[in-house]
Amino acid sequence: MLGRLGAALILQLIAIFIFCLGFFPQKKVLKGQAEFNPENLDRLGSNREEPVFNKFILVVVDALRSDFIFDSHNSHFDFVHSKLNSGEAWGFTAFSSPPTVTLPRLKGITTGSTPNFLDALLNVAEDDQTSTIKEQDSWINQFLTNGNQSIRFFGDDTWLKLFAPANETFQEWEGTNSFFVSDFTQVDLNVTRHIPTQLQEKDQWDTLILHYLGLDHIGHKGGAYSHFMPEKHKEMDNVLKDLYENVDPDTLIVVMGDHGMNDVGNHGGSSPGETHAGLVFLSEKLSRFPKPHSQYETIPLNTPVTADGDKTFEYLTQVQQVDIVPTLATLFNVPIPKNSVGILIKDFIPLLDKHLREAKVGENYQQLFTLSNSMETVNVGLTVDEMYEKMRAVQENLTRNATDYNYRALVPGYVILVCVTAYCLILAVQRMRLSGAFVALLGISFLTGISMFGSSFVEEEHQLWWWVITGSILFTLAFRQSSWHTTSSCITLSLAVRLIRGWNNTGQKTTYTYVIGNILAAHPTIKWNLNVLAFLAVCQSNTESLMSFCGHIVLIVVALAYKINWALVNKENVPVYAFQFLQIIGRLIKVNVGEDIENLEEALIPLARVFYRLVLSFTVVKIVLAKIRLQPPHSLIKDISKNFVVLLMFLSSTSNIPQFLIFEIMKVCITQIIKDEYGSDISITAIVSLILQNFTFFQFGRTNSIATIDLSNAYHGISENYNIYAVGWLMVISNFAPALYWAIYPWNITYVTPTGICKARWLRFAKGKLPITLFNGLVGCCLLAACVALRYHLFIWSVFSPKLCYYVFWNLFMASIIGWALEAVLLLLV
Amino acid sequence: MTAQLRNKKKSGVKKTVTFSDDTTISKSTNKKKTDFMSTNPPVFVRKTPLTIPWHLIGLLIFYIKVSKNYNGEQLLLGLIPMQILYLIFQFNKSTIYGKKRLKMNTTLLLLSIVGSVAMSIPAMAIAILLGAPLVEHLRSTWLMALHSSFLAFPALYSVVNCDFKVTIWRKYFIAIVVGGWISCIVIPLDWDRDWQAWPIPVIVGTYLGAFVGYTIGAFL
Repeated sequence: MLGRLGAALILQLIAIFIFCLGFFPQKKVLKGQAEFNPENLDRLGSNREEPVFNKFILVVVDALRSDFIFDSHNSHFDFVHSKLNSGEAWGFTAFSSPPTVTLPRLKGITTGSTPNFLDALLNVAEDDQTSTIKEQDSWINQFLTNGNQSIRFFGDDTWLKLFAPANETFQEWEGTNSFFVSDFTQVDLNVTRHIPTQLQEKDQWDTLILHYLGLDHIGHKGGAYSHFMPEKHKEMDNVLKDLYENVDPDTLIVVMGDHGMNDVGNHGGSSPGETHAGLVFLSEKLSRFPKPHSQYETIPLNTPVTADGDKTFEYLTQVQQVDIVPTLATLFNVPIPKNSVGILIKDFIPLLDKHLREAKVGENYQQLFTLSNSMETVNVGLTVDEMYEKMRAVQENLTRNATDYNYRALVPGYVILVCVTAYCLILAVQRMRLSGAFVALLGISFLTGISMFGSSFVEEEHQLWWWVITGSILFTLAFRQSSWHTTSSCITLSLAVRLIRGWNNTGQKTTYTYVIGNILAAHPTIKWNLNVLAFLAVCQSNTESLMSFCGHIVLIVVALAYKINWALVNKENVPVYAFQFLQIIGRLIKVNVGEDIENLEEALIPLARVFYRLVLSFTVVKIVLAKIRLQPPHSLIKDISKNFVVLLMFLSSTSNIPQFLIFEIMKVCITQIIKDEYGSDISITAIVSLILQNFTFFQFGRTNSIATIDLSNAYHGISENYNIYAVGWLMVISNFAPALYWAIYPWNITYVTPTGICKARWLRFAKGKLPITLFNGLVGCCLLAACVALRYHLFIWSVFSPKLCYYVFWNLFMASIIGWALEAVLLLLV
Repeated sequence: MTAQLRNKKKSGVKKTVTFSDDTTISKSTNKKKTDFMSTNPPVFVRKTPLTIPWHLIGLLIFYIKVSKNYNGEQLLLGLIPMQILYLIFQFNKSTIYGKKRLKMNTTLLLLSIVGSVAMSIPAMAIAILLGAPLVEHLRSTWLMALHSSFLAFPALYSVVNCDFKVTIWRKYFIAIVVGGWISCIVIPLDWDRDWQAWPIPVIVGTYLGAFVGYTIGAFL
């Protein structure tokens, strides 16, 4: 059975790998720069020489949601409102396609292309060099080559990463970064202070780009209706007024948000608030032309709502954010960038020379159809309206197919997975029969699998596991309970899981203020007392020999010292005894932990390395002792798992470490229940471990979204010229820490008897792995089916693809590396 | 403590049982029988459509369709008298203790009403243990707990009335809890409907759970 199950696992991994190859292909990007079609050039003769505008100022206000600039209750852009009413400014609501984070959006705004999933992943690893789009065609590149224009840039340094090396793109620049989110003013003053000089030198540049971050910071800190907002609106309004009054009519000023925000102030997803950004074109010249139809109402406008009373954020005319790319290209008379899926905003056609209108729209038409690989590129004889109709259809098609799926990989991957899962099912039927464990496992797999088809269930998966865990406790209490001992264990257990549920905010729907994590952060003394308790609890549990007890005391002392040091470096408050403790430990292990912050910072890496070495050497000593039979082999399992738990705590944040204290209590209760009510059944133990792994994973604050990957614990003991693999391992371990705790929980029950190691350990091993493999297979079949069925769904990149990534990690890391490799090595050693 | 309580109760009920007993049986068997009856009188609910609590469906329709903004207070005002009537005219009539139906005991009835109100506190604790918010919405959680404890009211009365034979009545309580537990599944959905607000789904779930419980309880 072990061999067959192992083969099934390997096939499962291969199937998922093949599927992912087909699902996350590299996006095809047309290389090179666009040029004007020579035929068109001939036809137009010299008429096309004159651009509509000759200077361009782009003001990006990060997270400028549409209502911030148009709404009567919410907007304080008084100057912009007056210009909108006089017709000198034209306003639009621009749809910014998810992921609504800055890097992919800036790519969209400059190249006109739709983002792919890799961009969202890269936004996490921001320092990555691959995010540069210097090679891709964009209006910035077109301006540089065609107009011989000089561009100056001040603001968010994401632009400098995108257009690295900056000195080849920008004539003058200064980047600000969004590292200190609590800074609302200085970050914007650092941009604004350049404006007077730039206005004086306005003959020396053709394009000026400003990117303000302050409004986004206010959103992240205080939400969309923060009381800092009106002031910030006025500040931005004044900047625009200052710019407008000091430039000539041939200058076009564009104000836009790169994305919006939800009412809490976060962004990244695809809710209406996040995807509807404001967009305003500002120039005296515009007043000479008829303003867009929707703008005849007096601005600011009332809040638009749906029939149900939900805000739609749809003010004035709706355009796609990428539409600004062909619009800019047309107004400044440069070729439309090759990968743009935008359409020239129709209201701007009257600005063009009468003879040019049809040809300009035709250029856009041809560029779009070339991009979509369509044969139908001839636009002769079509009127402007007909071309628009066709272009809209193409645009919709292109935005949906931002990536091409490779069906030749998707289909075999999926088929293999289904076959393997069917095989696992047969194995399970043979081995587990129609036992309660089998029914429970099928039920849980079925529930989880079905929930993969609903985007909100994927976002709120923690609810499902909460539901399962309370259900199992209720079941035991109602139908299995045979003694007061079990009843009290069940009650303790439900109290414990309720505490854990209230520990962190998880899921993407609601955030609570009163979660235990926040309360602990506000009361450092309680937090540190609990931390010490948690370490001690782990240390004392299940100890047999004095020697290993002493060893673990040394381990937790070093771990605590490091954690205190880390908190001090991060300017958190720690109780006095903790600081004194750190000083003593510092003297003992000869690491200099002086009073000032620099000393503390320098001490971090040596301390962490002392800890890692201790963990490693204890493990090695333990193995040697067990091998030469100085210590009983079953104590090896206990001690190694305890070493591992201390490592997991070391890699968790201090506000989460007290949860391990609760875990220890739960462990006692669950072990008693499994022993008394379920006869220490291996399958039941495996299923309980599976439920707890998932439950605690989410309750540590993780979700199925890329945004909640925690990087803060991935750099412990890593120096500056770091090894990316080491960081990767630490990141995975720290993010899965609670799940790992429960993944190794069955070791004791499955293999250890009071006197030694169970016989037939490999059979027991296989029995324990069968439920997990089957669960992963069944859920995988559903998830992969959901990904294929919903591949054109709006949320495919924001919800389902991240879930697929997490699923790969649950499979590869949790099930294979920890569940199989680590456990098998351990079994070989004892 | 429980044993004492049970003894007290036993002596109280014994009288009613002896009244109903067949006097033709010889003394020895009679003694044996009464002994058997008093220590372990068969209590069960008849398998009859009479136990179907139709009023719960009516109340739900009122709650969902008629009342404005899912008014839980109004619903509770409707629930309490209807549950009392249901107990008197339907549920109690289907309950067999020994060999006969029991008469309504008014004192016990009043006591059970007070008991139901008191039971809302442990019910609330259970709801919080099962994931109800602790800091916010305490009032709505209590309202929901009141609903569920009055849904359990007929079962509670019967528990007290029939010698605290908890095992027979336990399923009714479980049905209500399970109903509430299952209904939670709609809360995370992103449909943004007003009925997804706490505690509306759970109230509906407990009503449905109670409906199913009282309907099929006799068959389990």
